[in-house]
Amino acid sequence: MMKGDIFFNLSVRSVRLNFLRSMLAAIGIVIGVVAISSMGMLGTNMQLEVKEQLSATANTIVISSDTVRMGPPGFNPSSSSASGVTKTELTKITSVVGTNGTVIPIYSTTGEFTINSVAGRGEIYGIDPGDIGKFLTLNQTYGNGTTEIGTGEVLVGSELAQEFNLKVGTRIRIGSFDSTSRPELRIAGVLQSRGTVADGVSTDNAVVVNSNWYTDQYGGKNEWTQVNVIVKDTDNISDIESAINDKVNTNAKTPAVRITDASSQLATETSTLSTVTTFIMAIGGISLLVAAVSIFNVMMMSVSERIQEIGILLSIGTEKGEVRRMFMYEAFILGLLGAGIGGAASLVIGYSVVDAMIGTTAYFFQPASILYVPAAMLIGVVVCVISGVYPAWRASNMDPIDALRSE
Amino acid sequence: MTDTPVIQLVDVTKTYHLESGDFTALDHVSLEILENDFVAIMGPSGSGKSTMMNQLGILDVPSSGKLYIDGKDVAMLSSLERTHMRRDTIGYIFQKFYLIPLLSAYENVEYPLILKYKKRDTTGKASALLEAVGIDKDMSAHRPTQLSGGQQQRVAIARALVNDPKILLCDEPTGNLDSRTGFQIMDILCGLHREGKTVIIVTHDPNIAEYAHRTIRLVDGRVAES
Repeated sequence: MMKGDIFFNLSVRSVRLNFLRSMLAAIGIVIGVVAISSMGMLGTNMQLEVKEQLSATANTIVISSDTVRMGPPGFNPSSSSASGVTKTELTKITSVVGTNGTVIPIYSTTGEFTINSVAGRGEIYGIDPGDIGKFLTLNQTYGNGTTEIGTGEVLVGSELAQEFNLKVGTRIRIGSFDSTSRPELRIAGVLQSRGTVADGVSTDNAVVVNSNWYTDQYGGKNEWTQVNVIVKDTDNISDIESAINDKVNTNAKTPAVRITDASSQLATETSTLSTVTTFIMAIGGISLLVAAVSIFNVMMMSVSERIQEIGILLSIGTEKGEVRRMFMYEAFILGLLGAGIGGAASLVIGYSVVDAMIGTTAYFFQPASILYVPAAMLIGVVVCVISGVYPAWRASNMDPIDALRSE
Repeated sequence: MTDTPVIQLVDVTKTYHLESGDFTALDHVSLEILENDFVAIMGPSGSGKSTMMNQLGILDVPSSGKLYIDGKDVAMLSSLERTHMRRDTIGYIFQKFYLIPLLSAYENVEYPLILKYKKRDTTGKASALLEAVGIDKDMSAHRPTQLSGGQQQRVAIARALVNDPKILLCDEPTGNLDSRTGFQIMDILCGLHREGKTVIIVTHDPNIAEYAHRTIRLVDGRVAES
């Protein structure tokens, strides 16, 4: 319908007649659209990247002893919290969590091990065999394994398995290389790769042993390094956390445990990122404001150059609304030109920026990211149309006699 | 010519409020122009010819008095109704042609039709009128700046006629043309009068005024002779 509209045709011809001037004004919109969309996409891609890494463990609360607040050197804390989460604390946690989640106490330490006479060093986790399957899964390509490990058995991380060419049934010795006691354990399974996690259990380069074997070997029975709570419904996570905090951290000045989770970590990171994103986008927005001024200027020039033409249109029976429409179309065309070029440029520039800054473009075409392009284009067009309102109004309200008389 | 007045001015006064004081451009003017009349309006500069044209063309309204165009009191019409009357009842022919520079000759003639019917012309009326005033198909594709003065005025006449108006208002239609072309244009206007149009011409040129059946002379905003 617009294509057959004579006022649209007049606007197109006016833009074409003053092509250079129109393009220069539209460049402002191009820059604004590129700035807003690439910055928006950059921020969103960062957020998606962080979120993806943390989301696997988003349902997990990690409770560890608050070692940071142990006190000054030489200070002997009265509670035993410094050496781990105690049995009493665990009982309290378990009673608070109830049926809303699963409580998994975990021992861990850094230790040495030997595989085929090659020594290695990594994290050693001691977990009750009944709990392992609740959050760790096996990669069965290395042989049929089980998470129900006995005291003579061990699970190894995926990278470790790959590096040392391990499979189910291979033997591994745990303990420092020069130690006389280096018990040999049978590999009962290879764990799936976990990547970056927020639950404190990074198994890719680690081994997981039976918790009984762990305390026999390293001591510290009932003093867990951390207690993970896997909640059933992530919406309840903060309620459960505050309940645990109320129950366990009875002394506000010297809290016994520190309670963290992936979502609070994610929330902090996301909020920081989105603040930065909004800020940069606002700077991009300023360029659109400048563009609006130049569009306004060009539209005013177009109106004042065409006063006589407006007089002709009005005197031979053109309605005010039709004159207004003609100039609004012109602003719209400038916006469309700017937004179109800006949108195309945003894809290229945005892609390069995201690739350079984040190192991956895996999330670039996800809706949350790519939607910044049409959104910024829309903003660009709207800015142009708004800039055209006053010039169009001025044109339509001219006195036809005065307008005809102007040369 | 019928006895129905298509234009009627009753004691019309038009006063402009200027910084230097009030200026009365039309001073208690009363006159009637009947349907199918051919009227020339003459008078020296500043006599009120242009003001009269603006009133007759409904581009302006009287300060006092009544102006009836096609039986309607112009002062009682809304701005939109006046716009529609300019489009449908009156055809303008200007001294400086005033074609729309961005449109071709054909589109200039088609334009008032689009205003009225809100769609492109499919009846062939615009082409037929252009042919009738002596603009061929090749020429009608040209922009106004690519046409001679005479050609532009022919296009302007075709544009004025396209919505089949009762009244043709011609403001010095030959003022920007050489005399030969001027007479050709006058021949076209005479033909239109014969076809039943009411033709009103404002002119300085007594030779042009001779074509009219009646001459109204304005002096200092008053009708001196009718």
